[in-house]
Amino acid sequence: MVAKPLLPDDHADAKEDASGRSDEALVARAAAGDDSAFETIVNRYQARIYRLACRLTSDADAPDVLQETFLQVYRHLKSFRGESQFGTWLYRIASNAALMHRRAGTRRAAASLEAFLPRFDDHGTHAATPVELQVAARADELLDRQLLAQKAREVIAQLPDLYREAFVLRDLEEMSTADVARTLGVEPATVRQRVHRARLMLRGFLSNLVEVKS
Amino acid sequence: MIEVRCISGVELLMDYLEGVLSVEMHDALEEHVAGCDKCAAFVASYCETPRILRDATASALPSDVEQSLKVFLRARTTAFRRH
Repeated sequence: MVAKPLLPDDHADAKEDASGRSDEALVARAAAGDDSAFETIVNRYQARIYRLACRLTSDADAPDVLQETFLQVYRHLKSFRGESQFGTWLYRIASNAALMHRRAGTRRAAASLEAFLPRFDDHGTHAATPVELQVAARADELLDRQLLAQKAREVIAQLPDLYREAFVLRDLEEMSTADVARTLGVEPATVRQRVHRARLMLRGFLSNLVEVKS
Repeated sequence: MIEVRCISGVELLMDYLEGVLSVEMHDALEEHVAGCDKCAAFVASYCETPRILRDATASALPSDVEQSLKVFLRARTTAFRRH
């Protein structure tokens, strides 16, 4: 094993696009009343925020979260002081909008994912065989793509809110742990703990899914 | 020397991958995994899980949603400015 960041942080490319202006410059212009600058911000981030909203809520709820996010951004442009990166600020707004949307909507039946956590024998050794333990790594090869997409959305929606937010931002949106911590207003160690817990459950879920379908 | 078993090693994985373990703990975990087929298999699937779920849940922005967003923001930002 090699200790290195598990996933790359691809958010650097969000700061500038064909407009050639940085996020911060666009925010300053938009706050001063330049609607074209705000439009550029929306165009730059709308696909990412939509994808985030789908992952945090559902495909059906994502359009509302997307609209609410950019409306909140517009209303609070003048309060953005550049103390954090614009992307972090935007993701915080989107995450909060998604959370509010979930709370306002019909509560999903709580389904425990504890059953998917790894199991150990009395000696603290994995109860499963190496083949059984590794099968989740090949879930995308072994399962139908549409089925996997559907099941993935369902199981992520069943994660407790705290775990889902951290997992989606860190592992699916590929933010750094430090950025996720800033976005959620918690310590990096807390992010690592929540992401780890989510990964354990989701790894076990994939493993079970492959076994059931085999 | 720190003794790592499967059950304790699993709880160290995230911190290991993020490079925040102590040197002693880091080395003890690596030694255990190197000699444990089950943990090697577990680590492989633990590391692949984010990628598999990321690929499975990647959604493109539908053009009708993009259009609705533009219409919504045009109306709401105009109303906001008037107040």
